[in-house]
Amino acid sequence: MEFPLLSLIVFTPVVGAAVLMLLRSDDAVRWTALGVTVIDLLSCVAMLAGFDTTTHEMQFTETRLWVPALGITYALGIDGISAPFVFLTALLGLICVLASWVAIDHKVKSFMVSLLVMQALMLGVFCALDLFLFYVFWEAMLIPMYLIIGIWGGEGRVYAAFKFFLYTLAGSLLFLIGVIVLYFHGGETFDILALTAQDLPFRVQSWLFIAFLIAFAVKVPMVPVHTWLPDAHVQAPTAGSIILAGVLLKMGAYGFLRFSLPMLPEASVYYSTPMLWLSALAIVYGGLLALAQDDLKKLVAYSSISHMGFVTLGIFALNLRGLEGAILQMFNHGVTTGALFLFVGLIYERTHTRSIADYGGLMKAAPIYTTFLALFTLSSMALPGTNSFVGELLVLSGGFAANLAAGVAAVLGALLGAAYLLGMYRKVALGPASVGARFKIRDVNTREMVAILPLAVLVVWIGLYPKPFLNIIDASVKHLLTQVHKGSGQ
Amino acid sequence: MTAAALFQSALASVPEIVVIIGACILLILGQFVRKGQEHLLVWASVAIVLMAALGTLMLASEVRPAYTGMFVADRFAVFFKFVFYLATVLTFLLSRKYAEIEGIGSSEYYVLILFALSGMMIMASAIDLLSIYVGLELMVLCTYVLTGFLRRERRSNEAALKYVILGAVSTGIFLYGVSLIYGLTGTTQLDGMTAAVTGDPLDPGLLLAVVFIVAGLVFKVGAVPFHMWVPDVYEGAPTTITAFMSVGAKAAGFAVILRVFLNPLVAASNVWIIVAVIAVVTMALGSFVALVQDNFKRLLAYSSIAHAGFAIFGVVAGGADGIASVMLYLLIYSFMNLGIFAAVIMMRNGDFSGEVIDDYAGFAKSHPGLALLMLLYLFSLAGIPPTAGFFAKFYVLVALVERGFVMLAVIAVLLSAVAAYFYIRIVMVIYMREPERVFDPALTPMVRTTLAFTALGTIGIGLFPAWFLRLAQYSVFGD
Repeated sequence: MEFPLLSLIVFTPVVGAAVLMLLRSDDAVRWTALGVTVIDLLSCVAMLAGFDTTTHEMQFTETRLWVPALGITYALGIDGISAPFVFLTALLGLICVLASWVAIDHKVKSFMVSLLVMQALMLGVFCALDLFLFYVFWEAMLIPMYLIIGIWGGEGRVYAAFKFFLYTLAGSLLFLIGVIVLYFHGGETFDILALTAQDLPFRVQSWLFIAFLIAFAVKVPMVPVHTWLPDAHVQAPTAGSIILAGVLLKMGAYGFLRFSLPMLPEASVYYSTPMLWLSALAIVYGGLLALAQDDLKKLVAYSSISHMGFVTLGIFALNLRGLEGAILQMFNHGVTTGALFLFVGLIYERTHTRSIADYGGLMKAAPIYTTFLALFTLSSMALPGTNSFVGELLVLSGGFAANLAAGVAAVLGALLGAAYLLGMYRKVALGPASVGARFKIRDVNTREMVAILPLAVLVVWIGLYPKPFLNIIDASVKHLLTQVHKGSGQ
Repeated sequence: MTAAALFQSALASVPEIVVIIGACILLILGQFVRKGQEHLLVWASVAIVLMAALGTLMLASEVRPAYTGMFVADRFAVFFKFVFYLATVLTFLLSRKYAEIEGIGSSEYYVLILFALSGMMIMASAIDLLSIYVGLELMVLCTYVLTGFLRRERRSNEAALKYVILGAVSTGIFLYGVSLIYGLTGTTQLDGMTAAVTGDPLDPGLLLAVVFIVAGLVFKVGAVPFHMWVPDVYEGAPTTITAFMSVGAKAAGFAVILRVFLNPLVAASNVWIIVAVIAVVTMALGSFVALVQDNFKRLLAYSSIAHAGFAIFGVVAGGADGIASVMLYLLIYSFMNLGIFAAVIMMRNGDFSGEVIDDYAGFAKSHPGLALLMLLYLFSLAGIPPTAGFFAKFYVLVALVERGFVMLAVIAVLLSAVAAYFYIRIVMVIYMREPERVFDPALTPMVRTTLAFTALGTIGIGLFPAWFLRLAQYSVFGD
């Protein structure tokens, strides 16, 4: 019996949450939560250190019977597709605790408990190798997220929380039916690997693809089911926005990669063209919406729709560059947009306004803040030398190979990205210092620096030397492609 | 009937006999309980139920037919009886303080609940339309009285009267169906009916009889279009009785429905189409009307209609998995519904009724632990994993899809997404509003025990459903 590293990673936050419940002082709660996320992150680093990049097989697998009568197992494992996101989740978990250190000033204990439970469930989603287990983690996330948005959010938090909850629930329930249908077609098992090996008739694949699409498209989110996102992102507290943008949005794309493509290859190829168009639409539409925003958080939220369009574009390009770019871009988006939400949160804590019009000349008052903001803004618009450039380049070259017109639309979207991001930066950081007179601005302190630095390092590292990251995903993506091509008879 | 057969019959029905004799003794001795000693009544009632449970357990090893084909003590009945015991014992524990506050803590209250329990037990074991009728009447007559137990409250009286009249009509309809069946087949035994019928199962007379029986039975579980009594009765009755009826009486109704509807004769008459329509309409009505309720008890009434609808989907699926899914659903529903009712009952203290949902505003601030429990029950009722409520729904859906009813499964989940809204709205009121009052829940040790036990069931079955699933599958009748 191997050491159950993944179970440790997934359940450390749960144990931490249980310990938190016993604590009384807010400071003890904060430090304990920090300790738990640090331990979890270190476990993830240990996992990556032991990760074998030469194979597409699942690693660190654990299997236990859970509900034998229905063929449900407790099975965990990771491959090159999920490993980056396990790491990303643990990293952002740590940053969320830091970001909430002073921003959350009431019901601190409940907040940290929700945050840790959320982290455990998200890690579980990426590690699960049993469809039932996956679904349990996937849907249970609604509970802590609902509370995080609804209790600690902004003005319209209750509305946003309801919208988030019901949208996601309605989407996932159809996915649940799809899972059960798959269970009976795939030999009464929920084992993801066994189901992947099944060769389903096209008609069944087609229906399942649509059922899965609804669930995943809501999470990604793809246009036209994106409307929950601006509400949820804007109203959520900073940590909630970081989780939403950094991890939750990745889950939809992860669902495509883990289920739709390998299990329903024929349908995936069949529907790839409309999916490419939807992606291109999301890129352009999200960009246009972002261009029109005055609220900083809304701007970043709409930019997420645009960026996730690149991800789905890469996935449904169904070629090696597209897929590798999509996965890298998922990771990059988590880092960059997570950082941008962090930055919006930081400035909001100081000024209590998110309106771009209220800012200007921040460069003088907070030089360190604006320097790093510049880095992440440039990363978000995919400047060469930053992480997103590598990902977006791969996606675009894959996208052009798959569908020229969609590729052209995507480039247009990238241009829009430059417009709204640079515009935002100019208005906030440069120009005459209107801020200094109205607000007291203090530059980033040590705690905030600790939260920013790892993200900044990742931005530059992946931007200059992406090979180690691509190595991790390479074998699994190649295997995924052979599955798609074999299954679709190409 | 020979003496040996009589002995065997009596042996098979020992649990029922224990409960009935116990209730009779309690009725007499209860008169001597002095004021301030009412907890003795609770303990005596609990002891009677536990004795019956012990008897049930000891007799569970084999199938025992009794009373010349009127009655059977099989695993199916054992499973249901334990659901009833659970509901009854927890109701007793909840009743002590509540009955004192409402001034209804006389011995009759406990005796009537015990008699209702015996009626339910007979229903679970009955395999003849007439013994079903006897059990049914025994149960509902007690619940009529219990509904009106708040004698000085108009709402309670009105509810009881409504319940009696509508209940009598539905019983009449049921009996009429039974008489038709007897006329056509010459028997009222469930097993004998199939053998006796020689012609087409779609014979109009037979179809009419089946429709009458279906109508009479779905009344008892509060399914559309026979649901009108549910909101008024649930709102007007003492909350403890509402809890008892929503779990115990409903489970008993389903025990009968399963036995009757899945009888080969009834199943051959394509009754499942009617049942499927009832399931869809029931769930839709329960879910949508609950959206606009302000009264907690009324909301739970509509929620219980919606849950009945979901469980009926399991009946539509039929087969071993379908039956087991309904049974598991009812068991899990008992835990979570008694849990949320325990929370409502505990709020009743002093002048505070705790019946309006807005009364709970900001409850989480002063009582984080209790709020967390309510959150657990509510998310379980909404069917969100990892709670037991999710697994209950999941298994019904599995049974449906197994039978090829994918469209019905889709309808069921979409409606449960609608239902989720009103559960999370309560969570919102508890967690996301500012408190307007000081809360003083009546937290006696008995109420605490109930809360702990139901919470354990709600989360425990959710995380480790394997054993309970096996138990339900093992208890299915007919193989």
